[in-house]
Amino acid sequence: MTVPRFDELIHSPTRLAIVSLLAASEWADFSYIRDTVDLSDSALSKQLTTLEQAGYAEIRKGFIGKRPRTSARLTPQGRAAFEQHVAALQEIVLRSGATILPR
Amino acid sequence: MSEEPSPAEAAQALADIQLRQQQVIDLATIPTWFWWEVGALMVVLAAGVDSHANVLIGLSVSIFVVGILLGVGFVVVPAFRRAQLRNGLLDGRGVAAILGFVAVIVGGTIGLAFSLRAGGVHHPATLACLAGGLVMGLTGPVLMRRLRAIMLGNRTGASR
Repeated sequence: MTVPRFDELIHSPTRLAIVSLLAASEWADFSYIRDTVDLSDSALSKQLTTLEQAGYAEIRKGFIGKRPRTSARLTPQGRAAFEQHVAALQEIVLRSGATILPR
Repeated sequence: MSEEPSPAEAAQALADIQLRQQQVIDLATIPTWFWWEVGALMVVLAAGVDSHANVLIGLSVSIFVVGILLGVGFVVVPAFRRAQLRNGLLDGRGVAAILGFVAVIVGGTIGLAFSLRAGGVHHPATLACLAGGLVMGLTGPVLMRRLRAIMLGNRTGASR
């Protein structure tokens, strides 16, 4: 049972999009996140650094051949925080009596 | 102390979360053409085997291998470079669906080929693979829809 906990750090729209992508992945490529969320390299780096400093994300840098490659993943702490945040959002919606939960 | 969003804002956030997770899940969707390509390659391979001519067998095996590698290269590799799906999205039901699909296609095709050969029909492997390929082309997309539904059901925040 996930304990609902609203997380302001995750709730920022850009970070929510990034964390949601990462929540469905084991890891995601930097360029994939950048293009999907429609951010610049620097903006995404900044957001990932914020998540990393909170202990929510891990950034991996490596090479494929000679090409540098950066990918990101949620840490177990980040995944738990996201699940709690989603539960908190669901609770807010349910408390209002609305039936607008997404499928 | 943070301020909670309104119910409407929370619902919008949940919809955004669903959309983003769906985008990752859709990376794993195998396009319809891939199933037909594999089905067609099965027929080519079987036709080569049925010909009993070494040159045609070699040619059909080569076409099959190159075709499969190209198909997988176009479908799987780009998706895998973007993101790797979270373990657990595809649960036991998904694995069972995949195994069932493979069992039906392979078992049905082999069974039909042996039956046709026993009945003295010419080119039994080709005809059986034609049937198997048709079934694959028609049911592959159905399998993908089933797997997608399972993964969406296992994403964070999905209604159970």
